Amino acid sequence: MPATPSRYHRLNPLTKAIIATTASAGAFVIGGYIGPIAIIVVMLALAYSAGELGRLTRVSLLLTVPIAVSVVLVNALTHAGTTVLFVIGPFDVTLEGVDFAGQIVARLFAISASIGLFILTTDPRAFVFDLERRGAPPRVAFIAVATIDAIPTLVERAAVIGESQRARGLDAEGNLRARLRGVMPLIGPVILTSLTDVEERSLALETRAFSRPGRRHLLWAMPDTGWERLVRWLLVGALVGLVVIRLSGMV
Amino acid sequence: MLKLETVSYRYAGYATKVLRDVDLTLGDGEIVGVVGANEAGKSTLCLVGAGLAPGSIGGGLEGRVTIDGVAMTGRPQHEFATRVGIGFQNPATQLSGVTGSVFEEVALGPMNLGLPGRETVARAKAALATLDISDLAEREPRRLSGGQAQLVVIASLLAMRPAHLILDEPTAQLDPEGTRLVGVALRELAASGAALLVVEHKTDLLDGLCDRIAVIDAGRIVLDGAAGEVLEDPRLEAWGVEAPARIRLDRAVAERGLDPAILTGTGLGARDDA
Amino acid sequence: MSWGRFDTRTIVLIPIAIAINIVLGQTVSAVLKVPIYLDSVGTILVGALAGPIPGLVTGVLANLVWTYVVPPPFHSDFAAPFFIVAAWIGAWSGIVAQLGLFRSRPNSTWGQVAIAAVVVLLVLGGIGYYGFVPFYTDGTFTFFGDTTNASPFFVAMGYIIGIGFIAAILAIIGLLVVRRDVGVGYVAVAGLICGIVSALISAPISAIVFGGVTGSGTDVLVAAFQQAGADLSKAVLQQGLLSDPIDKTLEFLIVFVILQTLSRRFVARFPQGEKAIGVEPGAVEPSGVEASGAEAG
Repeated sequence: MPATPSRYHRLNPLTKAIIATTASAGAFVIGGYIGPIAIIVVMLALAYSAGELGRLTRVSLLLTVPIAVSVVLVNALTHAGTTVLFVIGPFDVTLEGVDFAGQIVARLFAISASIGLFILTTDPRAFVFDLERRGAPPRVAFIAVATIDAIPTLVERAAVIGESQRARGLDAEGNLRARLRGVMPLIGPVILTSLTDVEERSLALETRAFSRPGRRHLLWAMPDTGWERLVRWLLVGALVGLVVIRLSGMV
Repeated sequence: MLKLETVSYRYAGYATKVLRDVDLTLGDGEIVGVVGANEAGKSTLCLVGAGLAPGSIGGGLEGRVTIDGVAMTGRPQHEFATRVGIGFQNPATQLSGVTGSVFEEVALGPMNLGLPGRETVARAKAALATLDISDLAEREPRRLSGGQAQLVVIASLLAMRPAHLILDEPTAQLDPEGTRLVGVALRELAASGAALLVVEHKTDLLDGLCDRIAVIDAGRIVLDGAAGEVLEDPRLEAWGVEAPARIRLDRAVAERGLDPAILTGTGLGARDDA
Repeated sequence: MSWGRFDTRTIVLIPIAIAINIVLGQTVSAVLKVPIYLDSVGTILVGALAGPIPGLVTGVLANLVWTYVVPPPFHSDFAAPFFIVAAWIGAWSGIVAQLGLFRSRPNSTWGQVAIAAVVVLLVLGGIGYYGFVPFYTDGTFTFFGDTTNASPFFVAMGYIIGIGFIAAILAIIGLLVVRRDVGVGYVAVAGLICGIVSALISAPISAIVFGGVTGSGTDVLVAAFQQAGADLSKAVLQQGLLSDPIDKTLEFLIVFVILQTLSRRFVARFPQGEKAIGVEPGAVEPSGVEASGAEAG
């Protein structure tokens, strides 16, 4: 989170989540090129207003370009079509294939930009606890938030175990076969050591009244305004409307 | 007042009784130490006292565990939580992992109890102040040292205002600095009037802290008396317990036929106040 | 059929299981460009230890949390829509464990081992037949005959896939024989079924939302099938029917080994633990003062 959060940052997390979800879903309900590209433009504009344009483009490209390359290769090269543009080896690059690939890529970037914007402007804990305030079960909130820390803990543990294995001669560097042999023996110990914590952790949580049924009064409260509520309902309504139009159009 | 009355306990799936006919009382405001060899049953005693055994881990309990005269066996776990807090050895697994700051971590217990926000905040602040760690309030729990983390754990337990606090070898996994921090915290706890049951190998920590000390051996309480007397009891070693340094020093001086007066003024030995 | 319970231990297990899903899945896709995912081990574990509903919940939460909560670098933009598949995987593992199919049955007779081997062969053979043989028999094209589309590349692909299958069969049978544990057979079949249904559920999601591509090593298979003449949905389904059963069987076997390796005391404390690994004959151990999972003392 930046030191001086922008207006977009300060929106209620649920609002941002709904923006991201309706935008991604909208991207593929609308289909074609114009929809996804419009959504991408809107997301980039919002990111700019939030001062996150640079980060968003970087993260989005990093995550999506590898998949996009696969999409283009898989579909442009092998998609069945009648208008052959050119031939590469055994592959016919058809217009239909390129078009199909293009639409998918646009859609992928739209999803990536929407979800990326949400992730970059929202504190995940704030989001989850806000959901709890709105009625999500406290245990589900616990699971979601605990996962955030559980991942780096697991990775650190894997690094430590990897180091000790390397010291005993199990090398993970090198070609595929070596890497495979390096990763496999890691899986067992990493999983087992993470699981041994479970007993101690659950006892410690029990003594903090974790299993007490009922709601709790959270210390955190994210602000929410009437405008945001309206926007949320409008977006959801628009998405439902689009889905209906699309489905009836197809029927 | 927490009482174990003729308590025997065996773990789920095992026939051997780990605790046999244990009678132990933790009176209001009392500080009781528990010592014994490894595998003598100290940790089991803590789990039973806190209601986690059999409540959370199953197993078979005979006898009664009462708090202020009310039998507690079979009660849901969160009812124990408001009356008995328990801390374990490993600070890392006791931090909840869902809070972004020490303050939130300490406030987690009261929050789980469903207390209103103002009350939660007040309790958290008070707990931090009691242990003198208010300056850690904004730190990330993950990045604390072992000793600091253990203090945060104890504060988190305190914030629930239990009448009794059980600590199972709180310094076992800490470095000397961490041990020192916890030792200081224990004295502050004692001064605050809480009833404290501390299991420790390091009898130096218990020296001067506890009113009473109980010795447990193979699941039975073999000695239970005033702390000073118990620590000087020569049978301790046979039970796998090492006496505190000052007593061992006194004995060593006496064994060599030296004049105990040589220790006066050095700050060592039983002659001087600790 | 009990549906499982959400005690504190289970609730503590789930985030760790989700973390295992994410870290394993991301490591496999980054390090090894092979058509397996290994991103459901945690879900299967929870299903086995705690029951079908906790398994289902773990799957759903895993995917949603992966997209909406986990920050970069472990974040995934595209995981959320697949929560339905994850729900199936978690629920099915719970059912499988309930039926006692995760139990180790060492010292099985050779007859039982043989039957298990045959069953596994049949199921795998069926998958191979539907997913793979169309390359050779589907009317207008083959790997070898068609002049505009066939190429040595795809012929080689065909052989690689075939070898992959044979390797999988040999591995499973090898495990069966080495451990003389019919339990391996049950687990393998459960995994195969899991994979088949996963492929059926995820193919439409993948095709509609993502154009059949996930950025992993499986995309080459999709390309191969599409080049061989299948349309996208069919290609994605065929790819799924090859990758998913192998991947899920592998994951089920990993969980099987983990369950055997974990201490019996640990597993038994979970709601479904004892059912999952079976009660030891003579469940009460005669000696030894043991401490709880907390500390020895």
